[in-house]
Amino acid sequence: MARTKIVLAGEGGQGVQSIAKILVEAGYEAGKEILYIPNFGVEQRGGVSVAFCQIADEKIGEPRFAKGDIIIALSDRAIQRCATYTSADSVVVYDSSVCATKPCVPCKDVIAVEANKIANEKLSARVFNIMILGVLLKATNVLKLDDIKNAMEIALGKKFDAKPELRELNYKALEMGMAMIDKVGV
Amino acid sequence: MVKKLITQDTRMFLTGNEVIAYAANAAQAEFMYGYPITPQNEIMHTWCKLLPKTEAGFLQTEDEISAGFSTIGGILAGKRAFTATAGPGNVIMQDAQSMAEMMRIPFVCAVMQRGGPSTATVIYAQQETRLTCFGGNGEGFRIVYSTAGHQDLYDYMIKSFNTAWKYRFPTFMLADGYQGKMREPVTLYDPASRGITMEPTPAALRAPGVIGVDREATHLRNTFNLEEELMERLDQYQVDYDAMSKEVEEYFEYKADDAEVLIIAHGIVARSAMTAVDELRAKGIKAGLFRPITIRPLAVEPLRNVVKRAKEILFTESANGQLAQMCLEKMYGLTTPYQTLFKMGVGVTGDDIVNKVESMVKKMASV
Repeated sequence: MARTKIVLAGEGGQGVQSIAKILVEAGYEAGKEILYIPNFGVEQRGGVSVAFCQIADEKIGEPRFAKGDIIIALSDRAIQRCATYTSADSVVVYDSSVCATKPCVPCKDVIAVEANKIANEKLSARVFNIMILGVLLKATNVLKLDDIKNAMEIALGKKFDAKPELRELNYKALEMGMAMIDKVGV
Repeated sequence: MVKKLITQDTRMFLTGNEVIAYAANAAQAEFMYGYPITPQNEIMHTWCKLLPKTEAGFLQTEDEISAGFSTIGGILAGKRAFTATAGPGNVIMQDAQSMAEMMRIPFVCAVMQRGGPSTATVIYAQQETRLTCFGGNGEGFRIVYSTAGHQDLYDYMIKSFNTAWKYRFPTFMLADGYQGKMREPVTLYDPASRGITMEPTPAALRAPGVIGVDREATHLRNTFNLEEELMERLDQYQVDYDAMSKEVEEYFEYKADDAEVLIIAHGIVARSAMTAVDELRAKGIKAGLFRPITIRPLAVEPLRNVVKRAKEILFTESANGQLAQMCLEKMYGLTTPYQTLFKMGVGVTGDDIVNKVESMVKKMASV
């Protein structure tokens, strides 16, 4: 049974839960079985925020899994927090333009991206998380770009209609994020 | 009359808290009383967001003490009312819940468990199992359904209203922060389409008619002068409770018929156990699951039968054995050995259970 287990972790306010919601909405609309648990503390800002997402072809049993297939960590604290979710089969992606440390955990591969830096320099800091969504889309390879665009319309359609240039900005961020991963479905 | 939002089968992708609000509307609940506490806030938020369409009512009270008693007030007035809470909120709502037990008020409450004791975490736990079944200064004359996902949340929220109004014991739907916050697909339906009719909700106070002429006085007591008076009343409650138990007991077995290692788990942990059972079976280990759906009252006969057949039992919970204690009391006299996998306030994964059962089987083989 094909089941992809994703752990997405960052600082509260980085938009981790926002892109997790778009990802799972895309999966649901594409007819996949989905289970998503947001996990965070009592802080409004700051603190580590984690999204546990599962995308599968068949009905999902366990809501919380022990080890992820793909772990994306967007801060030093997130790297620490996620150490427990990696196994020898996991791929860990981290943002080297945010994190001071490189993940040092047992895993299949560690991939560094510089989404924060590139978002700031070339687009806008506000689409940093969408860039990460692009990274995730290509790295997992279980959903199509159109699925994600469709889910973005559901989540952000009203904002896009008010300011059409936002749609282009977000699409650009998605594409740039995808370009940061060399191999499809790592 | 509230307006029903769901008139035909509708597949939706929702959080559990949203599902509960939709279910309460499907059950034609008229009023919600509540006080905010994570992780149940979105039940209130969703209920309120839907108010313009449902024309139902909502009152945010000053705390959970007030929310509990206000719910009782609404019910006495003949409204299909409910509340929801979690963690420390569940603790301080016990006073009203005890009163509902004493006065046989069809109190309905969704409990979204979070970590404890005290404030602990806002995330998840199964540590309000004992509290929800036996909280307050009483004997636990309560009915508690433990759900394992969004379809359950919808089905059992609707059922809770009917169970409460039919048997007049406070009825709880015990879920948790995972179920409240997580999103998964669910099918919403009109209960009538499943042959479910909602129990009528007659007013206990200010009912029509002249007292002594048209009807007897309604005399709801929670104060007694004599010890014997109280015991007489409670003995009758026990008789009613035992008689009702056979009708409301529910459980679910998964590959338990020929199970050598039987996992006993409730709520969302039972979902992880099902994942584990499949993995273990693929490795040639005969594992199975017994999941009590009503954790109060427990389905004792089915539990004893399945325990008798197994070689070894594994209790697993996101608590330190709160369900296990209730089960073990009912398993008295049986000699099947048991082991435990308890993670206090933390989710139990399929891998956790697989590893534990594998170590149990290894030990059994070496004996």
